[in-house]
Amino acid sequence: MRDTFRGGVHPNERKELSRKAALRVFDAKGEMVFPLAQHIGKPAKAIVNKGDPVLVGQRIAEADGFVSANVICSCSGTVKAVEKRRTISGAMQECIVVDNDGKYTETGDIFDQPLRVDNLTNEEILAAVKDAGIIGLGGAGFPTHVKLAPKDPLAIKYLIANGAECEPYITCNDQLMRGYAAEIVEGMEIVLKLFPAAQGVIAIENNKPEAIAAMKKAANGHKRIRVLGLRTKYPQGGERSLIKVIAGVDYPITKLPADVGCIVDNVGTIYAIQRAVVYHEPLFRHVMTVTGEAIKEPSNFIARDGTSFAELIEAAGGIKDGVEAKKIISGGPMMGIAVSTTEVPITKTTNAITVLTSDPVETADKKMTACLHCGRCTTVCPNGLMPQMMADAVAAGDFERYENKLYGLDCISCGSCTYICPAKRPLTQTFKQTKAEIMARKRAAQGGKK
Amino acid sequence: MNQRLNLSAGPHVRDRWTTPFIMMIVLIALTPAAVIGVVVHWVKFQSLNALWIILASVGSAMLTELLFCLATRRKITIWDGSAAVTGLLLALCLSPQTPVVLPIVGSVFAILVVKCCFGGLGKNFINPALAARCFLLLSFSNGMTNYPGVNELGVDALSSATPVAMLKAGSMVNVTKMFLGTAGGVIGSSVLALLVGGLVLWGLDVIHGEICFSVVGGFTLCLALFGGHGFDPGYLAAQLCSGGVIMGAFFMATDYTTSPVSRLGQLVYGCLIGVLGALFRILGKSADSFSYSIIIANLFTPLIDLYIVPKPYAYRKSAIEKAAGVVKPPLLKRIPKPVIALTIIAALAGVALSGVYSMTKDPIAAAELAKKRESFKVVCEDAADFKDVDAAQKALDALEGGSYGGGKFGTTVIEEVYEAVDTSGNTVGYVFSVTNRNAYNPPLKLALGVDPDGKILKIAFIELNETPGKGSKADEPAFKDQFVGQTDTSAVDTMSGATVTSKAVLNAVNAGLDFFRNVIMGGGK
Repeated sequence: MRDTFRGGVHPNERKELSRKAALRVFDAKGEMVFPLAQHIGKPAKAIVNKGDPVLVGQRIAEADGFVSANVICSCSGTVKAVEKRRTISGAMQECIVVDNDGKYTETGDIFDQPLRVDNLTNEEILAAVKDAGIIGLGGAGFPTHVKLAPKDPLAIKYLIANGAECEPYITCNDQLMRGYAAEIVEGMEIVLKLFPAAQGVIAIENNKPEAIAAMKKAANGHKRIRVLGLRTKYPQGGERSLIKVIAGVDYPITKLPADVGCIVDNVGTIYAIQRAVVYHEPLFRHVMTVTGEAIKEPSNFIARDGTSFAELIEAAGGIKDGVEAKKIISGGPMMGIAVSTTEVPITKTTNAITVLTSDPVETADKKMTACLHCGRCTTVCPNGLMPQMMADAVAAGDFERYENKLYGLDCISCGSCTYICPAKRPLTQTFKQTKAEIMARKRAAQGGKK
Repeated sequence: MNQRLNLSAGPHVRDRWTTPFIMMIVLIALTPAAVIGVVVHWVKFQSLNALWIILASVGSAMLTELLFCLATRRKITIWDGSAAVTGLLLALCLSPQTPVVLPIVGSVFAILVVKCCFGGLGKNFINPALAARCFLLLSFSNGMTNYPGVNELGVDALSSATPVAMLKAGSMVNVTKMFLGTAGGVIGSSVLALLVGGLVLWGLDVIHGEICFSVVGGFTLCLALFGGHGFDPGYLAAQLCSGGVIMGAFFMATDYTTSPVSRLGQLVYGCLIGVLGALFRILGKSADSFSYSIIIANLFTPLIDLYIVPKPYAYRKSAIEKAAGVVKPPLLKRIPKPVIALTIIAALAGVALSGVYSMTKDPIAAAELAKKRESFKVVCEDAADFKDVDAAQKALDALEGGSYGGGKFGTTVIEEVYEAVDTSGNTVGYVFSVTNRNAYNPPLKLALGVDPDGKILKIAFIELNETPGKGSKADEPAFKDQFVGQTDTSAVDTMSGATVTSKAVLNAVNAGLDFFRNVIMGGGK
């Protein structure tokens, strides 16, 4: 089997900063903020009011519609407000704010002893996943109970646990796999029950030999699960890249992985499923990395949703003396979002806080030249797109060519083209805007017809 | 934590490679060729003119861009290095004897007209260095065709059908010199240095293999099929090592801006250059055909980029079939049988042709030699046979096919000299074939017969491409019969309205007479 996909880039990994830091549980002290829209789909509906007492594991907002997910409280205390607060994206969003009493009293629904899962039906498993508010922890945040219920479960050939962790700096999944290998394998077995024809593959980039060894050991004896070491290359951990390698299939943006017989879940999601099904523990905490050149003690945490960036950075020793934090990124440097303030809460999908002492984007902007037509972007695009031609089409305002001839809507915004560009052109950024513009125009056109 | 934070959109890391870095690598890759060019010229002629040309060209290219940026109040872009690359490329395809003013004029043209006026880096529609070279060739043809040693790396000696000279001199000697860059020609004529630089660039992924190898491949294949010599390695090697083919393939055709972006487009573009270059070599007269073929392909690039757009992986037929679960038979079974059969037949035919060629090579050469001698009989009617003249041959070998007389007769090459003998073996005269490259439409090639006393027997034109009605009158008896019986050309009236042609003929004849007096008679006594 191939161990990688076509294209891709090799950004400086910088995982050595935090890869040796074992997972630490971090309990926040300050107020906790829970945005209602942490997932793809419709925002959840708040089911608590100001002044209500809440406990750890309590559902405070309910899925609204099919593609939506519950929001779970990660602390105990009282609801301070349901109001608009600033979130990672920079926008003001509806959030439930909880005054944390610091006691972390649990609801009592979470089991101490593992539940026997052999006799659970598929419906019971899916219900447990849905109740736990689990969404894809890889970053996109697609509600997992929707993903695990494709039209034809028998058509699923591969269940892929994504432990590639190709984003530079981030090491939390590495630590999760090292520390909770057996739990992840059990989670895989639970999900595999839903897909009788599927084979389980745990895909890990080979820059994490300890994690590969731990997972191989845990998977030993599990006939339907194997561990696959992948070449270290960004975006190896992209859903499409994994499917290309494992199932050997390329598919257009209009299709879902399930359409080509694959389900891809982050190892963190698989672990959350195991917790939800076996211990009835909903998703209110997850692994994440606080790292970067500016951080004193880069760490891997099991952090509670709603904790502010400021508290987590403080928990990692704070900013190093004598350096200035130039840029704070929610996530890794390739696909993460820069935040304007540390007074924003982490959500279920926040897998890292990366604090940089310099801003490569700023430096790159100063070095920007005209496009050379060197074609490096076309070589690295994992989907075989022609970023250079796409940028030309956008510059010429030719959206028709962008969409139909160049398949510009198939861009997954992985950032490889921007990364590699010697002329330092903001390619990915342009494509994101253009895609949004084309989609907006389409919606406007449809609205006009009606 | 309240200081200002940067908020730019991701990705938040960038690769180390920048535009100036790439240009620097290209400059480094060109350095060996430049150094060899300068050193060879210095060793041969104790002149550093090649170095001055390089410095003038690079300097004026950068200065032009600087002045343009200042004049138009744009960001100063000279430090991206592209102007320096253009300047160096231009210098490397000039003769080391070019007057230093020409590279300056050329660089200004390249940067100002071809690059800056069309929008600067990444916007030029043809390769600036090549455009400048062609501009210079058309505007200053005298200064530009002044080559030491073999004219234009011996391209014309090879392409304009003098296989006799090739066979006689032993083409392999020539090719080795051309490969090393000691044969003369342009500054960047060391094929070895260019190949090393080019392959390094390819290895570093700076240039696209799709382009350079398809240029070389298309060129070689086309020459082999239509060049009239089949797969003769000597002939192909000589062609590849001459006339800037390697320079063009690795450094000119691969220019990012003027080549297609898609791999398939690059293959099409490269093959176009190779095939055009080969056809120009076979059919054309110009020694600079390769520059023109690259420029023509440059002009096709926007068209290629418009129509050859590879589909993303997911939309390619193979991916769609795979997603649909179509199981394909192995590759060999998918190729239709007629295609396999035709390929085999074509391959066999090719092998057979090569065999026939190598069997008939010598007889053909002998026949051509006989034909040549026939033409010499025109200028020396009493001759029954022609013999080699040792002293003359030595002198010609020493010149290595270069210009005779050190510029006294313009660029004039004496190609062959024979002693004419009658049936009883008495010397009845000497015959020369002389080529002059300063005619209106060079080369001008004539046969000259001289009797043992140094009187001209007759002249006849072997190759004359002058303007009909003007320079073409040289072939009329009124002009050429004036030479008969003369020992010098002082009494010859030039043709009115065709002074360039007249001068070329006189130079050719004078070179022959001079050679006769100084080498044959001088060496004989």
